[in-house]
Amino acid sequence: MAEINKVAVIGAGVMGAGIAAHVANAGIPVVLLDIVAPAGAGPQSNGSNPNRNAIAEGAVAKMLKTDPAPFMSKAAAKLVTTGNIEDNLDLLADCDWIVEAVIERLDIKQSLYAKVDAVRKKGSVVSSNTSTIPLATLVEGLSDSFAEDFVITHFFNPPRYMRLLEVVGGAKTKAEALDAVSTFADHKLGKSVVRCKDRPGFIANRLGVYWLQAAVVEAFDAGLDIEDVDAIVGKPMGIPKTGVFGLLDLVGLDLMPHVNASLAAALPKDDPFHAMNRPLPMVEKMIADGYTGRKGKGGFYRVNRAKNKAKESVDLATGEYRATKRANVEAVKSMGRKLTRLLDHDSEHGRYAWRVLGQTLAYASALVGDAADEIESIDEAMRLGYNWKFGPFELIDQIGVDWLAAKLEASGMAVPAILKTASGKTFYRVENGTRQVLGMDGAYRDLVRPDGVVMLADIKLKSQPVLKNGSAALWDIGDGVACFEFTSKMNALDPDIMDLLTKSIRRVKKDFKALVVYNEGSNFSVGANLGLAIFAANIAAWTEIESLVAAGQQAYKALKYAPFPVVGAPSGMALGGGCEILLHCDAVQAHAETYMGLVEVGVGLLPGWGGCKEMLTRWASSGKLPKGPMPAVGKAFELISTATVAKSAAEAKEQLFLRPHDGITMNRYRLLADAKAKALSMVDGYQIPEPPVPLALPGPSGKVALEMAVAGFQRLGKATPHDGVVSGEVANVLSGGDTDVIKTVDEDALYDLEREAFMRLVRHPGTLARVEHMLLTGKPLRN
Amino acid sequence: MASYKAPLRDMRFVLFELMGGDDLASLPGYEEFTRDLIDPVLEEAAKVCEEVLHPLNRSGDEEGCTFENGVVRTPKGFIEAYKTFRDGGWTSIACDPAYGGQGLPKSVNTLVEEMICSANLSFGMYPGLSHGAYVSLHGYGSDELKDAYLPKMVDGTWSGTMCLTEPHCGTDLGLLRTKAVPQDDGSYKITGTKIFISAGEHDLTENIIHLVLARLPDAPKGVKGISLFLVPKFMPDSDGNPGPRNGVACGSIEHKMGIKASSTCVMNFDDATGWLIGQPHKGMQAMFAMMNTERLSVGIQGLGLAEASYQGAVTYARERIQGRSLTGVKHPDKAADPIIVHPDVRRMLLTQRAYVEGCRALGAWAARALDLQKHHTDPAVQEENEEFVALITPVIKALMTDLGFEATNLGVQVFGGHGFIREHGMEQYVRDCRIAQIYEGTNGVQALDLVGRKLPAKAGRNLRRFFHPVAEYIETHVEDDTMGEFVQPLAKAFVRLQQATAQVARAGMANPDEAGAAATDYLRLFGLTALAYLWARMVEVSLPKVGGADDSDGFYTAKVNTARFYMERVLPQTNGLFAQIMAGGKSIMAFDEAAF
Repeated sequence: MAEINKVAVIGAGVMGAGIAAHVANAGIPVVLLDIVAPAGAGPQSNGSNPNRNAIAEGAVAKMLKTDPAPFMSKAAAKLVTTGNIEDNLDLLADCDWIVEAVIERLDIKQSLYAKVDAVRKKGSVVSSNTSTIPLATLVEGLSDSFAEDFVITHFFNPPRYMRLLEVVGGAKTKAEALDAVSTFADHKLGKSVVRCKDRPGFIANRLGVYWLQAAVVEAFDAGLDIEDVDAIVGKPMGIPKTGVFGLLDLVGLDLMPHVNASLAAALPKDDPFHAMNRPLPMVEKMIADGYTGRKGKGGFYRVNRAKNKAKESVDLATGEYRATKRANVEAVKSMGRKLTRLLDHDSEHGRYAWRVLGQTLAYASALVGDAADEIESIDEAMRLGYNWKFGPFELIDQIGVDWLAAKLEASGMAVPAILKTASGKTFYRVENGTRQVLGMDGAYRDLVRPDGVVMLADIKLKSQPVLKNGSAALWDIGDGVACFEFTSKMNALDPDIMDLLTKSIRRVKKDFKALVVYNEGSNFSVGANLGLAIFAANIAAWTEIESLVAAGQQAYKALKYAPFPVVGAPSGMALGGGCEILLHCDAVQAHAETYMGLVEVGVGLLPGWGGCKEMLTRWASSGKLPKGPMPAVGKAFELISTATVAKSAAEAKEQLFLRPHDGITMNRYRLLADAKAKALSMVDGYQIPEPPVPLALPGPSGKVALEMAVAGFQRLGKATPHDGVVSGEVANVLSGGDTDVIKTVDEDALYDLEREAFMRLVRHPGTLARVEHMLLTGKPLRN
Repeated sequence: MASYKAPLRDMRFVLFELMGGDDLASLPGYEEFTRDLIDPVLEEAAKVCEEVLHPLNRSGDEEGCTFENGVVRTPKGFIEAYKTFRDGGWTSIACDPAYGGQGLPKSVNTLVEEMICSANLSFGMYPGLSHGAYVSLHGYGSDELKDAYLPKMVDGTWSGTMCLTEPHCGTDLGLLRTKAVPQDDGSYKITGTKIFISAGEHDLTENIIHLVLARLPDAPKGVKGISLFLVPKFMPDSDGNPGPRNGVACGSIEHKMGIKASSTCVMNFDDATGWLIGQPHKGMQAMFAMMNTERLSVGIQGLGLAEASYQGAVTYARERIQGRSLTGVKHPDKAADPIIVHPDVRRMLLTQRAYVEGCRALGAWAARALDLQKHHTDPAVQEENEEFVALITPVIKALMTDLGFEATNLGVQVFGGHGFIREHGMEQYVRDCRIAQIYEGTNGVQALDLVGRKLPAKAGRNLRRFFHPVAEYIETHVEDDTMGEFVQPLAKAFVRLQQATAQVARAGMANPDEAGAAATDYLRLFGLTALAYLWARMVEVSLPKVGGADDSDGFYTAKVNTARFYMERVLPQTNGLFAQIMAGGKSIMAFDEAAF
């Protein structure tokens, strides 16, 4: 199988540029081409000497300013070579994979393919990012040798963050081409590849567009308030809380008619989509008037700047904006956790919920054998392409196959074949600790993970924890490696976790070779359980709080000096105490989308579990800074006092939240296996780390210097009064308290300084107000 | 019959020396309430309570109210006493000057309330209920309604009621059925039956203004569909004088265990004309404005009765000679020693005293917080005090009525057989106190309010208003040579309270029944710890004065000695309460319902 070492993307629109950026994120050089810029365009152009690459260059420049960022680091951006398709086609010659992401017009795509085919190297793969044009149509009239190397790779927007990649092969496509792209996308780009049939809209958009359209059309028919609609077709169904109208505002209202039209044009006449695809004059008028969503003057929701930023919503009956109201849906309030109760609720909302979900699930069922043969592909596509918490067949399992079939029948709707096949069964089941899925033939087969993928969820089905309490568990993940998992709500750190961590260290020492700290929550951990902390503070339980701080310090220190390798394996947010545990691991294998930071100052506290100490020693020993006690202190102070969060694992390396020898895994599914491998690789000849060399720290004079900087920010209005208090304590710890440059400060003394400063802060009313505000509103308080 | 002297010395100690009441006049709206004005108010209140109200307490209990042909008559002397009370301006002291009130600080009014409760609780019910109605109407009524009704309610010409309870619903007002139908003229027709309506009908005032909870035709189910209406007994004419009779009538009065001179009425509303107070369906909000101040007042009832009982018991224990001291004759000139020489009698008297003086300080703390909440200029201070009041209100209501009941029972016990017969009045205090543990939300409901609502609210911020000052106080004084003796027991109880609070919060989050099972014990633990804190503070004020010129009457010495008794002989109850709480609710909830 050909290895992909260089990639080209043609078309520097949002998708193409985003794909190129993400290839660069993987450390792979990438060429980004677009058409020649018209004269006068582009940043460097002047009339006499036009910049012909301005479009591609502009796309890269724009991405460097986009939030959320398409690039994981500034270094990645340097891997992108820009150009235009007239002057720079030669750049494609050594590319192993060429992605076409130009406008959805067959003639333009095909003429481009001809040009590409002329310069590309033999065996290179060409793919299209089309979302609607069938592969068979795209390769019509092109040479067999081209068709053999041609696939569809359908990315989702934004390409860095959306984990779904739909891959379609045609009749002539070589298996090698499909495998090369799939493997690359899996390992290097971190995508979950779903193989689709060459059918319109593939899987995710075929079903997703139908669902959106159904939700909108039925909402108009029922005359509902959009807030209520989003409260129904949202959280209760495991759909992101943007719901339907919020999602349309996000993607742009104007996109829908295009997508609908092209799907309608491609789908056979008897497809149920046509019945749902009705014109909506009100939406058309909104688009015509520039109300295209967040990118336009507003969408179904808007913030009315003329009215003191009042939040407003469109009334579906009149098309006029009115004040946004709080959703009030009795059917949702009374459903508990039972979706059937919502769908059966005798109210307009209950009937709406059924109309939307019933038809969507029926359509999903009808796609089995059409868009895909495997129901798990459909579920995966909806989970990763539309961020649904549950795929449609998981939803059907929740409400019951027969319950759905009966209700469809009672509503006069056809019952799709797969529901009849599944009658009396569930689509998924666990048999002898193995997850199984129902096939079209009515037989169950094992769900097999790809090579190199180990999921803790699978291990948990098959085994009992080695140790366990209410907030954490220790698992045997094979080959002598144990896995420490947070199981508390939101993976918040609490005394039980510290307790089990301490016990786990003793157990691993006895029975295992290495330890991995890992979990499969959406965030590794966003830090300590603030609810517990504020409650303890409110009842003035200072001694308990101090012993919790001390217990965390001791547990993390024990982890650091454990006589076996410890590998932290985070994904998502690793903040506060969740970051500090990683700072105490021998090595970290981080998912690329890991966001590390010591954010304690946001709630008026400081890192008290060794975070200050670790960042200080890391920067002091980094060799990246000028000599003397102050530079490392200043760097750590900057990171901690501004609650800096690395926006990727790559960025975390720049800030030394991660060290050079720490690894990055692009594919979330491969994280545990990579971490385990890393841990095992460290077992032979493992040596307990030496305590850091005691540091010469500046003492009070250094503290004064840092405080002056904060006072400067305060004068500029960039720091609040309580920021001053908190920064002062951070400065005190990092400058070594009342030490002076002649003495040195060791690790334990830094732990003590952290704990003492933490205790002073936790008693401060300003800090209590911040913690409380964060808990009650989820937002930081700027006091 | 036991006599009553208002405990003005201790009241002044609590108000001025302990709570720093001299600074009340620095709050906007309270400028005139300097000590020069407050002292005479307390003295005059003492006089009317001692000389007018207390003499009617026994006779009122014996005679009770009578009901005949829809008319309720109060016991002999009540009409005259009410006239004296009203003429003295006592119905208006705590009311808004804009409506003819005197705007007395809560810190002072609470003391007056205590005196009234000690002297004659039944009598106090009439102006007390009027004041509750006043609070709701004043807080939520339209200007039109307020102008029409408040002046006469304030000056006592008219009285008021709160009509909440119905035959099938008391604690759970969500089940309420009384209907209100809107009329074209903006009024409503109210129809339904209310029971247990204190002062619902009587002969003390020319008109009675009922505040009635009812449902509008479009009302949502449950407590979110309840509205509050004003329904006068007589419709005021254009001059504001009582006119034609409205469709509300007393159907009967209850025959009760105590507060027999207070009329407790069944009120029938039959297309009675009423007006909406506040917003439709927001009646509970207006009702709770009243309920919160009423709960503090009910706590004060427990205190007042305990004080009255203590006074009777002390007098009797000095006068009653019976047997000799265990350690030899103390009064050889007499045929026997007075029973006050006996350790067990002294134990009972000191328990009463420690409860009374501790509760008086607790009531004063809450009253001061209410004054700061309403009159302080800094919104942050207002909010902090509001949070404290929210937290402490259920504690005051339940603790002070429970302790009041215990104290009045001890009073009976000191009297022996003479306590059990009616003529000495000691058993009346017990009977009168019993209702205070029940009405305005039973003490069980108070405990649930504390653990279920007040604890978790705002991530526990209410707790801070109690725990932080107490923790700071302990830290400051625990090492102190002279204070240590008092602060160390407080510190121990406080740690128990902290642990119990964490336990109740944790267990209650996982299983609400656990919080429910712990609630009553927890409230008492909370309350006793609060009293310990106040006793320590009272010692702090008193110690420097012990043996000095100000202590010629032995007041400060007695204060310190009572504090010592509290710390050594009462506060250890918290050990048992702590053990009960930590044991959890399993033994309560696992018991088979059928086996009861």
